[in-house]
Amino acid sequence: MNNYNYLNDEWYKSLPKEYSFRNISNMNNINPSLVTPTEGYNRGNMFANLYSQYKNYRPETLRASNEQERLFLELSRTHFAAHELNLYLDLNPNDVSMIKLFNDYRERCEQLTKEYEQKYGPLSIKSDSLNQTPFMWEKSPWPWEDRFNV
Amino acid sequence: MFSYKKRLQYPVNIKKKDLRMAKYLVTQYGGSNGELAAALRYLNQRYTMPDAKGKALLTDIGTEELAHVEMISTMIYQLMKDATMEELREAGLDTHYAEHSKALYPTDANGVPFTVAYFATTGDPLADISENMAAEQKARAVYENLIDLTTDPDVLGPLLWLRQREIVHYARFKELFEHYEKMIKNGQMSKVNMMDQVNQNPNNIIFNDMNNFLRD
Repeated sequence: MNNYNYLNDEWYKSLPKEYSFRNISNMNNINPSLVTPTEGYNRGNMFANLYSQYKNYRPETLRASNEQERLFLELSRTHFAAHELNLYLDLNPNDVSMIKLFNDYRERCEQLTKEYEQKYGPLSIKSDSLNQTPFMWEKSPWPWEDRFNV
Repeated sequence: MFSYKKRLQYPVNIKKKDLRMAKYLVTQYGGSNGELAAALRYLNQRYTMPDAKGKALLTDIGTEELAHVEMISTMIYQLMKDATMEELREAGLDTHYAEHSKALYPTDANGVPFTVAYFATTGDPLADISENMAAEQKARAVYENLIDLTTDPDVLGPLLWLRQREIVHYARFKELFEHYEKMIKNGQMSKVNMMDQVNQNPNNIIFNDMNNFLRD
Protein backbone atom coordinates (compact mmCIF):
# COMPACT_ATOMS: atom_id res chain seq x y z
CA MET A 1 0.00 0.00 0.00
CA ASN A 2 2.90 2.34 0.61
CA ASN A 3 3.59 2.40 -3.11
CA TYR A 4 0.00 3.14 -4.04
CA ASN A 5 -0.22 5.65 -6.87
CA TYR A 6 -2.80 8.16 -5.73
CA LEU A 7 -3.07 9.86 -9.09
CA ASN A 8 -4.34 6.66 -10.71
CA ASP A 9 -7.11 6.20 -8.18
CA GLU A 10 -10.62 6.54 -9.61
CA TRP A 11 -11.55 8.90 -6.81
CA TYR A 12 -8.84 11.38 -7.77
CA LYS A 13 -9.60 10.95 -11.44
CA SER A 14 -13.21 11.92 -10.74
CA LEU A 15 -12.16 15.27 -9.30
CA PRO A 16 -12.55 18.40 -11.42
CA LYS A 17 -9.36 19.38 -13.26
CA GLU A 18 -8.99 22.67 -11.43
CA TYR A 19 -9.07 20.86 -8.13
CA SER A 20 -5.84 21.47 -6.25
CA PHE A 21 -5.22 17.83 -5.35
CA ARG A 22 -4.41 16.81 -8.89
CA ASN A 23 -1.66 19.39 -9.12
CA ILE A 24 0.27 17.95 -6.22
CA SER A 25 3.10 16.14 -7.97
CA ASN A 26 3.64 13.30 -5.53
CA MET A 27 0.83 12.44 -3.15
CA ASN A 28 2.97 9.77 -1.53
CA ASN A 29 4.99 12.50 0.13
CA ILE A 30 1.98 13.66 2.12
CA ASN A 31 1.81 10.56 4.23
CA PRO A 32 3.07 7.23 2.99
CA SER A 33 0.87 5.33 5.42
CA LEU A 34 -2.42 6.71 4.06
CA VAL A 35 -4.53 4.85 1.51
CA THR A 36 -6.95 6.61 -0.85
CA PRO A 37 -10.51 7.54 0.20
CA THR A 38 -11.82 4.80 -2.12
CA GLU A 39 -9.67 2.08 -0.60
CA GLY A 40 -10.00 3.51 2.90
CA TYR A 41 -13.80 3.67 2.79
CA ASN A 42 -14.06 0.09 1.50
CA ARG A 43 -11.83 -1.02 4.36
CA GLY A 44 -13.15 1.24 7.11
CA ASN A 45 -9.54 2.29 7.74
CA MET A 46 -7.48 5.00 6.02
CA PHE A 47 -4.19 3.97 7.62
CA ALA A 48 -2.24 1.21 5.87
CA ASN A 49 -0.18 0.48 8.98
CA LEU A 50 -3.33 0.00 11.12
CA TYR A 51 -5.20 -2.30 8.72
CA SER A 52 -5.51 -5.86 9.93
CA GLN A 53 -7.46 -8.45 7.99
CA TYR A 54 -9.67 -10.99 9.80
CA LYS A 55 -9.07 -14.56 8.58
CA ASN A 56 -9.40 -14.54 4.78
CA TYR A 57 -12.20 -11.95 4.67
CA ARG A 58 -11.61 -9.17 2.15
CA PRO A 59 -13.48 -5.88 2.46
CA GLU A 60 -16.46 -5.38 0.20
CA THR A 61 -15.81 -3.22 -2.88
CA LEU A 62 -18.58 -0.63 -2.92
CA ARG A 63 -19.89 0.22 -6.38
CA ALA A 64 -22.44 2.75 -7.56
CA SER A 65 -24.96 1.71 -10.19
CA ASN A 66 -26.40 5.12 -11.12
CA GLU A 67 -25.64 8.84 -10.92
CA GLN A 68 -27.30 9.35 -7.51
CA GLU A 69 -25.40 6.43 -6.01
CA ARG A 70 -22.14 7.64 -7.53
CA LEU A 71 -22.52 11.06 -5.94
CA PHE A 72 -23.64 9.59 -2.62
CA LEU A 73 -20.72 7.12 -2.53
CA GLU A 74 -18.20 9.83 -3.35
CA LEU A 75 -19.66 11.98 -0.57
CA SER A 76 -19.43 9.09 1.92
CA ARG A 77 -15.82 8.34 0.94
CA THR A 78 -14.73 11.94 1.23
CA HIS A 79 -16.51 12.43 4.53
CA PHE A 80 -14.92 9.27 5.90
CA ALA A 81 -11.43 10.35 4.79
CA ALA A 82 -11.88 13.75 6.47
CA HIS A 83 -13.14 12.06 9.65
CA GLU A 84 -10.14 9.71 9.82
CA LEU A 85 -7.77 12.68 9.52
CA ASN A 86 -9.88 14.52 12.12
CA LEU A 87 -9.17 11.77 14.69
CA TYR A 88 -5.47 11.75 13.76
CA LEU A 89 -5.21 15.57 14.01
CA ASP A 90 -6.85 15.59 17.45
CA LEU A 91 -3.61 13.98 18.66
CA ASN A 92 -1.22 15.54 16.13
CA PRO A 93 -2.44 19.14 15.81
CA ASN A 94 0.83 20.42 14.28
CA ASP A 95 1.02 18.08 11.27
CA VAL A 96 0.93 20.67 8.47
CA SER A 97 0.55 18.30 5.53
CA MET A 98 -2.27 16.38 7.22
CA ILE A 99 -4.08 19.64 8.00
CA LYS A 100 -3.80 20.53 4.32
CA LEU A 101 -5.16 17.13 3.27
CA PHE A 102 -7.96 17.33 5.87
CA ASN A 103 -9.05 20.68 4.46
CA ASP A 104 -8.99 19.36 0.90
CA TYR A 105 -11.32 16.53 1.90
CA ARG A 106 -13.47 18.84 4.02
CA GLU A 107 -13.98 21.36 1.19
CA ARG A 108 -14.67 18.61 -1.33
CA CYS A 109 -17.21 17.13 1.07
CA GLU A 110 -19.02 20.48 1.32
CA GLN A 111 -19.16 20.72 -2.50
CA LEU A 112 -20.46 17.18 -2.89
CA THR A 113 -23.09 17.65 -0.17
CA LYS A 114 -24.38 20.81 -1.86
CA GLU A 115 -24.48 19.10 -5.24
CA TYR A 116 -26.28 16.02 -3.84
CA GLU A 117 -28.86 18.00 -1.88
CA GLN A 118 -29.61 20.21 -4.86
CA LYS A 119 -30.33 17.19 -7.03
CA TYR A 120 -31.82 14.65 -4.60
CA GLY A 121 -33.04 16.39 -1.46
CA PRO A 122 -31.74 17.26 2.00
CA LEU A 123 -29.21 15.21 3.98
CA SER A 124 -29.18 17.70 6.84
CA ILE A 125 -31.59 20.26 8.26
CA LYS A 126 -29.37 23.15 7.12
CA SER A 127 -29.71 22.21 3.44
CA ASP A 128 -30.70 24.87 0.88
CA SER A 129 -33.10 22.31 -0.60
CA LEU A 130 -35.45 22.93 2.35
CA ASN A 131 -36.48 26.25 0.85
CA GLN A 132 -39.63 24.89 -0.82
CA THR A 133 -43.13 23.54 -0.14
CA PRO A 134 -43.88 20.91 1.01
CA PHE A 135 -41.17 20.71 3.67
CA MET A 136 -38.63 18.31 2.18
CA TRP A 137 -36.98 17.09 5.39
CA GLU A 138 -39.54 14.35 5.97
CA LYS A 139 -39.94 13.57 2.27
CA SER A 140 -36.46 12.25 1.57
CA PRO A 141 -35.94 8.62 2.69
CA TRP A 142 -34.62 7.65 6.12
CA PRO A 143 -31.30 5.84 6.12
CA TRP A 144 -32.60 2.62 7.70
CA GLU A 145 -35.18 2.23 4.96
CA ASP A 146 -34.35 0.68 1.60
CA ARG A 147 -32.58 3.36 -0.30
CA PHE A 148 -29.87 2.20 -2.64
CA ASN A 149 -26.80 0.04 -2.66
CA VAL A 150 -24.18 2.44 -1.41
CA MET B 1 -24.74 20.30 20.30
CA PHE B 2 -25.47 17.55 17.87
CA SER B 3 -27.12 17.70 14.48
CA TYR B 4 -28.43 14.84 12.39
CA LYS B 5 -27.43 13.70 8.91
CA LYS B 6 -29.83 11.51 6.94
CA ARG B 7 -27.02 9.17 5.97
CA LEU B 8 -25.41 6.05 7.43
CA GLN B 9 -21.64 6.20 7.95
CA TYR B 10 -21.37 3.02 5.85
CA PRO B 11 -24.18 1.51 3.74
CA VAL B 12 -26.47 -1.17 5.21
CA ASN B 13 -28.77 -2.94 2.75
CA ILE B 14 -29.78 -6.36 4.07
CA LYS B 15 -32.19 -8.11 1.73
CA LYS B 16 -32.58 -11.46 3.53
CA LYS B 17 -34.27 -11.70 6.92
CA ASP B 18 -32.29 -13.63 9.54
CA LEU B 19 -33.86 -13.71 12.99
CA ARG B 20 -31.05 -15.61 14.66
CA MET B 21 -28.47 -13.10 13.41
CA ALA B 22 -30.66 -10.23 14.68
CA LYS B 23 -30.68 -11.91 18.06
CA TYR B 24 -26.86 -12.13 18.17
CA LEU B 25 -26.26 -8.71 16.64
CA VAL B 26 -28.30 -6.87 19.28
CA THR B 27 -25.36 -7.22 21.68
CA GLN B 28 -23.47 -4.59 19.65
CA TYR B 29 -26.44 -2.31 20.33
CA GLY B 30 -27.16 -2.88 24.03
CA GLY B 31 -24.38 -5.17 25.30
CA SER B 32 -21.51 -4.20 27.60
CA ASN B 33 -19.08 -3.93 24.66
CA GLY B 34 -21.64 -2.48 22.27
CA GLU B 35 -21.74 0.77 20.35
CA LEU B 36 -24.28 2.49 22.63
CA ALA B 37 -22.11 1.84 25.70
CA ALA B 38 -19.04 3.14 23.84
CA ALA B 39 -20.77 6.30 22.57
CA LEU B 40 -22.20 7.25 25.94
CA ARG B 41 -19.05 6.31 27.88
CA TYR B 42 -16.77 8.47 25.72
CA LEU B 43 -19.16 11.41 25.63
CA ASN B 44 -19.52 11.12 29.42
CA GLN B 45 -15.77 10.85 30.12
CA ARG B 46 -14.72 13.80 27.96
CA TYR B 47 -15.61 16.54 30.47
CA THR B 48 -12.79 15.60 32.85
CA MET B 49 -10.06 14.92 30.31
CA PRO B 50 -6.97 16.92 31.36
CA ASP B 51 -6.15 18.51 28.01
CA ALA B 52 -7.56 19.49 24.62
CA LYS B 53 -6.32 16.30 22.93
CA GLY B 54 -8.40 14.09 25.21
CA LYS B 55 -11.49 16.29 25.01
CA ALA B 56 -11.30 16.41 21.21
CA LEU B 57 -10.66 12.68 20.71
CA LEU B 58 -13.41 11.54 23.10
CA THR B 59 -15.89 13.97 21.54
CA ASP B 60 -15.06 12.87 17.99
CA ILE B 61 -14.90 9.11 18.62
CA GLY B 62 -18.00 9.30 20.87
CA THR B 63 -19.86 11.03 18.05
CA GLU B 64 -18.74 8.41 15.53
CA GLU B 65 -19.98 5.66 17.88
CA LEU B 66 -23.46 7.22 17.69
CA ALA B 67 -23.27 6.68 13.93
CA HIS B 68 -22.36 3.03 14.62
CA VAL B 69 -25.39 2.69 16.91
CA GLU B 70 -27.46 3.77 13.91
CA MET B 71 -25.76 1.23 11.61
CA ILE B 72 -26.28 -1.66 14.06
CA SER B 73 -29.88 -0.58 14.70
CA THR B 74 -30.49 -0.50 10.95
CA MET B 75 -29.05 -4.00 10.57
CA ILE B 76 -31.27 -5.40 13.35
CA TYR B 77 -34.33 -3.63 11.93
CA GLN B 78 -33.71 -4.94 8.42
CA LEU B 79 -32.99 -8.50 9.60
CA MET B 80 -36.27 -8.57 11.58
CA LYS B 81 -38.79 -6.49 9.71
CA ASP B 82 -40.37 -9.17 7.50
CA ALA B 83 -40.40 -11.93 10.12
CA THR B 84 -43.52 -14.06 10.61
CA MET B 85 -44.72 -15.02 14.08
CA GLU B 86 -43.56 -18.58 13.44
CA GLU B 87 -40.05 -17.42 12.53
CA LEU B 88 -39.89 -15.22 15.63
CA ARG B 89 -40.87 -18.20 17.77
CA GLU B 90 -38.31 -20.45 16.09
CA ALA B 91 -35.49 -17.99 16.70
CA GLY B 92 -36.51 -17.53 20.33
CA LEU B 93 -37.54 -13.93 19.69
CA ASP B 94 -41.12 -14.59 20.83
CA THR B 95 -40.13 -13.29 24.27
CA HIS B 96 -38.80 -10.12 22.62
CA TYR B 97 -42.09 -9.82 20.72
CA ALA B 98 -44.07 -10.13 23.95
CA GLU B 99 -42.31 -7.08 25.40
CA HIS B 100 -41.50 -4.94 22.36
CA SER B 101 -43.20 -6.46 19.28
CA LYS B 102 -40.80 -5.62 16.43
CA ALA B 103 -39.39 -2.49 18.02
CA LEU B 104 -35.69 -2.26 18.79
CA TYR B 105 -34.59 -2.64 22.39
CA PRO B 106 -30.98 -2.45 23.63
CA THR B 107 -30.00 -5.73 25.28
CA ASP B 108 -27.09 -8.12 24.94
CA ALA B 109 -27.42 -11.39 22.97
CA ASN B 110 -28.88 -13.07 26.08
CA GLY B 111 -31.59 -10.42 26.52
CA VAL B 112 -29.92 -8.61 29.47
CA PRO B 113 -31.03 -4.96 29.17
CA PHE B 114 -28.55 -2.12 28.68
CA THR B 115 -27.33 -0.51 31.89
CA VAL B 116 -25.36 2.66 32.68
CA ALA B 117 -22.94 0.47 34.65
CA TYR B 118 -21.26 0.05 31.23
CA PHE B 119 -20.18 3.71 31.40
CA ALA B 120 -17.25 2.76 33.68
CA THR B 121 -15.88 6.21 34.43
CA THR B 122 -13.37 7.00 37.21
CA GLY B 123 -12.30 10.55 36.34
CA ASP B 124 -8.70 9.34 36.20
CA PRO B 125 -7.49 9.84 32.61
CA LEU B 126 -5.19 6.80 32.57
CA ALA B 127 -7.87 4.52 34.02
CA ASP B 128 -10.59 5.90 31.72
CA ILE B 129 -8.53 5.72 28.54
CA SER B 130 -7.29 2.20 29.26
CA GLU B 131 -10.92 1.21 29.90
CA ASN B 132 -11.68 2.52 26.40
CA MET B 133 -8.74 0.67 24.87
CA ALA B 134 -10.06 -2.57 26.39
CA ALA B 135 -13.58 -1.74 25.21
CA GLU B 136 -12.39 -1.33 21.61
CA GLN B 137 -10.54 -4.66 21.76
CA LYS B 138 -13.59 -6.41 23.26
CA ALA B 139 -15.86 -4.94 20.59
CA ARG B 140 -13.40 -6.12 17.92
CA ALA B 141 -13.50 -9.65 19.38
CA VAL B 142 -17.32 -9.62 19.44
CA TYR B 143 -17.40 -8.45 15.80
CA GLU B 144 -15.19 -11.42 14.92
CA ASN B 145 -17.58 -13.78 16.74
CA LEU B 146 -20.47 -12.25 14.81
CA ILE B 147 -18.59 -12.56 11.49
CA ASP B 148 -18.10 -16.28 12.29
CA LEU B 149 -21.89 -16.61 12.75
CA THR B 150 -22.99 -15.41 9.30
CA THR B 151 -22.38 -16.07 5.61
CA ASP B 152 -24.64 -13.30 4.25
CA PRO B 153 -22.42 -10.80 2.36
CA ASP B 154 -24.91 -7.98 3.17
CA VAL B 155 -24.24 -8.61 6.87
CA LEU B 156 -20.51 -9.37 6.54
CA GLY B 157 -19.72 -6.09 4.75
CA PRO B 158 -20.80 -3.75 7.57
CA LEU B 159 -19.42 -6.12 10.27
CA LEU B 160 -15.96 -6.22 8.67
CA TRP B 161 -16.06 -2.44 8.31
CA LEU B 162 -17.10 -1.83 11.92
CA ARG B 163 -14.35 -4.22 13.09
CA GLN B 164 -11.76 -1.98 11.40
CA ARG B 165 -13.17 1.03 13.19
CA GLU B 166 -12.50 -0.70 16.53
CA ILE B 167 -8.87 -1.20 15.44
CA VAL B 168 -8.41 2.45 14.47
CA HIS B 169 -10.08 3.72 17.66
CA TYR B 170 -7.92 1.41 19.77
CA ALA B 171 -4.78 2.84 18.12
CA ARG B 172 -5.92 6.43 18.77
CA PHE B 173 -6.77 5.73 22.41
CA LYS B 174 -3.39 4.02 22.84
CA GLU B 175 -1.64 7.13 21.49
CA LEU B 176 -3.62 9.29 23.93
CA PHE B 177 -2.81 6.93 26.80
CA GLU B 178 0.93 7.12 26.02
CA HIS B 179 0.69 10.90 25.75
CA TYR B 180 -0.83 11.13 29.25
CA GLU B 181 1.71 8.68 30.66
CA LYS B 182 4.48 10.90 29.29
CA MET B 183 2.84 14.03 30.71
CA ILE B 184 2.69 12.44 34.15
CA LYS B 185 6.30 11.25 33.93
CA ASN B 186 7.41 14.77 32.99
CA GLY B 187 5.38 16.28 35.83
CA GLN B 188 3.12 18.14 33.39
CA MET B 189 -0.09 16.67 34.70
CA SER B 190 -0.31 18.00 38.25
CA LYS B 191 -3.57 19.04 39.88
CA VAL B 192 -2.74 22.72 39.17
CA ASN B 193 -2.32 22.01 35.45
CA MET B 194 -5.58 20.12 35.36
CA MET B 195 -7.42 23.03 37.02
CA ASP B 196 -5.91 25.39 34.45
CA GLN B 197 -7.76 23.43 31.82
CA VAL B 198 -11.12 24.00 33.51
CA ASN B 199 -11.36 27.58 32.31
CA GLN B 200 -8.50 29.47 30.80
CA ASN B 201 -10.27 32.81 30.72
CA PRO B 202 -8.36 34.99 33.24
CA ASN B 203 -11.44 37.19 33.72
CA ASN B 204 -13.38 34.26 35.03
CA ILE B 205 -13.97 34.74 38.75
CA ILE B 206 -14.11 31.02 39.46
CA PHE B 207 -10.87 30.52 37.58
CA ASN B 208 -9.10 33.19 39.68
CA ASP B 209 -10.56 31.85 42.90
CA MET B 210 -9.42 28.39 41.96
CA ASN B 211 -5.93 29.58 41.16
CA ASN B 212 -5.69 31.56 44.39
CA PHE B 213 -6.93 28.53 46.27
CA LEU B 214 -4.34 26.30 44.62
CA ARG B 215 -1.55 28.82 45.28
CA ASP B 216 -2.45 29.03 49.00
